[in-house]
Amino acid sequence: MALEQEQVLRDVISEVLEAMFFAMVDFEECGPGRPFDYESEIHLLNHNGRIAISLRVSEGFARMLTANFLGIEEYQVNDDDLEDSLKELANMVGGGYHARINHPDWQLGIPRVWKIGVEGVDSTQASAGVGFAFFGESAGSAVVNYLPC
Amino acid sequence: MSYNVMLVDDSRSMRKVILKTLQLSGFEIGECLEASNGQEALDILEGKWIDLILSDVHMPVMDGFGFIRALREKDIYKDTPVVFVTTEANEDRLNQLMVLGGSGYIRKPFRPEEIRALLGRIMGETDGFRAGTSVEGCDF
Repeated sequence: MALEQEQVLRDVISEVLEAMFFAMVDFEECGPGRPFDYESEIHLLNHNGRIAISLRVSEGFARMLTANFLGIEEYQVNDDDLEDSLKELANMVGGGYHARINHPDWQLGIPRVWKIGVEGVDSTQASAGVGFAFFGESAGSAVVNYLPC
Repeated sequence: MSYNVMLVDDSRSMRKVILKTLQLSGFEIGECLEASNGQEALDILEGKWIDLILSDVHMPVMDGFGFIRALREKDIYKDTPVVFVTTEANEDRLNQLMVLGGSGYIRKPFRPEEIRALLGRIMGETDGFRAGTSVEGCDF
């Protein structure tokens, strides 16, 4: 993968977070088992398999992103807004990833989101992953998995 | 001059963001209808006059392709401007949407200036945009 895909992930995440969520993050090593609160995921599909892109974020970071996205205060963010905004984050990261791999066979799926611990999935076998920090504090991670049919 | 607008997107948050972006771009909104997919949009429209539709492409139930096809079959909506706001990256699919009757598209993530410029071109209403709140002055 690895380095190339990681760089693509970094570029896409930076672009989306800066343009739509008004947040700038620093990237860091993506270690397993970090305690984030929400996971959003989107798939790119073709006839041979799928690429799963998963984003995990802390609740505080998710709340801040949602507030920025909707132009409201953090205390006004409700759970529906938060989950909907995280789905849209995954949607835009997936779209940006697709644009950069530039292969017409792949089609973007519908994003989904869940609270980690309720319906979590194992992302430890990811083919690429990056972590990101907001003002020095670990805020989330992103992983890409290729899953053949 | 105000416009009746319809926003079609399965993300309620994205509909809010697009509406806010339109308002901050100086686009005067009359009635704003919202739908979470193409089928719901067709059900809500039911012959109502609408000046502009902004629609997502990837949606459950009926996606942007199904929506534009069905919309253009109705005489009242055959010339209604439809702008797709989408994460779709495939140029062929985007061009297909234009062939089916789309008026333009904007890729997410977008900047307010892009929506303002495209709609100004499509709606031919640059004076209205100048009269409204400037993007630079917004707190969005």
